[in-house]
Amino acid sequence: MKQFTTGIVIGLEVHVELNTKTKLFCSCPTHGSEEPNTRTCQICLGMPGSKPVLNKKAVEFALKLCLALNCGISPELIFSRKSYFYPDMAKNYQISQYEIPLGKKGSLKLKDGKEIGITRVHMEEDPASLIHPAGLKESAYVLVDYNRSGNPLVEIVTEPDLASPDEARDFMKQLITVLNYLEIFDINEGIIKADANISIKESGYKRVEIKNITGFKEIERALVYEVKRQKEEAHKIEQETRAWDSEKGVTFLLRKKETEDDYGYIIDTDLTLVEISKKWTAEIKKEMPELAQDKVKKFVEKHKLKKEDAEILAAEKELAEMFEKISEEIDPVLAAKWLRRELVRVLNYNKKELREVEIDERHIIDLLRLVENKKITDNVASEILEKLIEKPFDVNNFVKKERLEAVSDISELEKYCKEAIAENPKAVGDYRKGEAKALNFIVGAVMKKTKGKATPKEVNEIILKFIQ
Amino acid sequence: MLAKEFIEKIKNNEIDIVEHTEKIIQECKEINKEYNYFNTISEELALNQAREINKKILSKEKNFFANKKLLGVAISVKDSICVKDVETTAGSKILQGYKPLFDAFAIKRVKEEGGIIIGKTAQDEFGFGTFSINSAYGIPKNPFDKERSCGGSSGGAAGLSQKLKNHIALGESTGGSITTPASFCGVFGLCPTYGRVSRYGLIDFANSLDKIGPMGKSMEDAALLMNVIAGHDKNDSTSLNVKAEDYEKYLKKPIKGIKIGIIKEAFGAGVEREVEKNVYNGINELEEEGAKAEEISLELPIKYGISTYYMIAASEASTNLAKFCGMRYGAAEKLEGSFNEYFTKVRSNNFGEEAKRRIILGTFARMAGYKDAFYLKAAKVRTLMINEYKKAFKKFDALVSPTASILPPKFSEIEKLSPLQHYMIDVMTVSPNVAGLPHLNVPVGIEKNLPVGMLLIADHLQEGKLIQLGSAVEHGK
Repeated sequence: MKQFTTGIVIGLEVHVELNTKTKLFCSCPTHGSEEPNTRTCQICLGMPGSKPVLNKKAVEFALKLCLALNCGISPELIFSRKSYFYPDMAKNYQISQYEIPLGKKGSLKLKDGKEIGITRVHMEEDPASLIHPAGLKESAYVLVDYNRSGNPLVEIVTEPDLASPDEARDFMKQLITVLNYLEIFDINEGIIKADANISIKESGYKRVEIKNITGFKEIERALVYEVKRQKEEAHKIEQETRAWDSEKGVTFLLRKKETEDDYGYIIDTDLTLVEISKKWTAEIKKEMPELAQDKVKKFVEKHKLKKEDAEILAAEKELAEMFEKISEEIDPVLAAKWLRRELVRVLNYNKKELREVEIDERHIIDLLRLVENKKITDNVASEILEKLIEKPFDVNNFVKKERLEAVSDISELEKYCKEAIAENPKAVGDYRKGEAKALNFIVGAVMKKTKGKATPKEVNEIILKFIQ
Repeated sequence: MLAKEFIEKIKNNEIDIVEHTEKIIQECKEINKEYNYFNTISEELALNQAREINKKILSKEKNFFANKKLLGVAISVKDSICVKDVETTAGSKILQGYKPLFDAFAIKRVKEEGGIIIGKTAQDEFGFGTFSINSAYGIPKNPFDKERSCGGSSGGAAGLSQKLKNHIALGESTGGSITTPASFCGVFGLCPTYGRVSRYGLIDFANSLDKIGPMGKSMEDAALLMNVIAGHDKNDSTSLNVKAEDYEKYLKKPIKGIKIGIIKEAFGAGVEREVEKNVYNGINELEEEGAKAEEISLELPIKYGISTYYMIAASEASTNLAKFCGMRYGAAEKLEGSFNEYFTKVRSNNFGEEAKRRIILGTFARMAGYKDAFYLKAAKVRTLMINEYKKAFKKFDALVSPTASILPPKFSEIEKLSPLQHYMIDVMTVSPNVAGLPHLNVPVGIEKNLPVGMLLIADHLQEGKLIQLGSAVEHGK
């Protein structure tokens, strides 16, 4: 038994749906028609006489994850039957892994560098989905949709190393980043679910399990609620299993837990042992992309970025890849600044993800080259970026056509400045009386006249020259 | 008439396939009234197949006859093997009315070769038994004496093989369900190496033990059907990816120099005198044909076979039977209560007593706290048994014992047996099943008007040797 020292102790069991084309043990598609029970066959329906045949692609996906999480890999893949009766189970047992998981003893680093232990990573089949037409508790009947039945899942079990809901959220974020880099999870349609074990010092670390939390933001919500509940009722907390009601934002009791569940695991002898050779693992390793944490290191060392900037860029695979392409042509520090600040700002404003917009690195390179050569001002560049997100266009042509080149002719700028000084005698007076802020007002007037095409710093200097 | 000769007559238009099939179905119905060999007679399917074949014969379709190994031959199918659109119950009430949507691999092969599927034969529920009495449907009666059992669990297949001419049966064995009934009904029954015949479409009893195999009145017929069903199938992960042999080439092949090991522990105490005498006759026959027989001690298989087998088979069976809960197919009950209450009601009312016993036994054996002592220990003993056999096969080509230690018993005698005594009847056959070894029942004599069978066991994938020896006994007389 581990000796706990932190105030809060959290361990997660995360279920991730792998985005293979076909199911784990049959050739039915994992995605496609949403009409209930159309993506099924005798195998994923568990009809008598049908037999499972392993989808090797799913094993490769799971192996990639194990390697990315620094797990030890089992030399053999063995599946077991996990027996329990439930209407979402086609066979009333789930083909899963028990004694010998695919991967074990791995780790994943949080943003702050804290290492979270991975106890095991194993593969299993998804059950069917149950639909309660009148709500979970009120429905007189339940509908079963087997479209999901047999989809490949990996379960990732962490050590109880997470010390706060915040760390749990960050763990999920890091995990999703890994999944995204490996391209083994469909971030838009894939399902991520977790069971969380949580206990607090005040209750003597009585373990409470929260089942079936769907979506990674919900995990933090459920944990925040549960910490609060446990702190308030610390002396009453018992070992039990609870469920998360995301609508009401509360956890509720499912059952008191006196003994461990006994699923009567035995080897599934319908499936043969699959050897996971060193050669196979090496081939998979070779196919694996550079992961986020490698990228951070590279960005800092090679491109001289600040660690914080590097982390933000690396957190999203598409952003990191875009940065790498752009930095081949543009000063990396400038590129990083524009990508992590402006591009992210504009995307957030439009509520879009990078992969959802048409803009590509060519547009940004054109734009930043103009910025780098002082052909356009930062303000103008920002405005162009906003337009590019809506629909990409040729940046150079656009700048010419709209006459957005920066005003760099000093005599022209001086002309605008003189006009502004003449038109704003009050502001000039205030400034001379010692109100430094009044200067901004005059600079603003110049910017208006040039439609943002002047550099504020330069304007500033010219005005000072005239009024001091 | 051998199936081979029969096929020639069809090809030469000496037999009208449709008429013949009608006649066979009629005959099946009559036999069934008296002997209960069928759970279902698939008249419609059989006649449709016959008409289809006839059409092709009449149209003189080119190459149609080429490689049709079973053209027009009646094939019966143990009820646990799925036949598309034909009620398939595995002898259980819980699957009453269930018609599979797909053919088992073996059935697909039989159909491809022009075999006519005549029906689903009686068996113990899911294969749980030695006498075919644990069935929700008719109990098959011994073709030699209707007061007696056919053996089990492929009892209907064995009885029908004895009674119906121009027919070969598909049986299935988990712990002796091909050879024991073959012995009690005086026919050949070949249980192949585990994985030699695809299990795809076989309703599981115990996944690491189940084998589909042929049963027939002659070694020729059994070898012919074996040639059709053996081979690799990508839909069964445990199917061996090894090219199947031509088994017919072993028929009537001289056996001079073949070494036979007589399993010492399988004779003597507990074996009926008449059985022992006839099995020795069989061994003498082999020696006369040129085989060399010698005694060998195989303690482990006889001593631990039954317990090892029941631990593994029941553990696997208890998970396989979980799917039967009245939700999507088979028996249903009035919908009320929670799903747990409903599943319990369906299973309580529709599983037979022996099925329930094995579910409880198997579930217990794999529970935490007992699993190490039962299920996992049995798995270890299984490996030791395989090693012991492998050692024996370094010296011998085949091992021999009686198939059953007793003559076919009367139903009234069976009633008096306790479940454990019942299980002990399988003592000779369970061990080769546990070890996945091919084994064959060879009829060796009739005693008190009842048949006696000899069990031959060979090394993995050595079915050919068994056929060679079986054929020698058959033709030596």
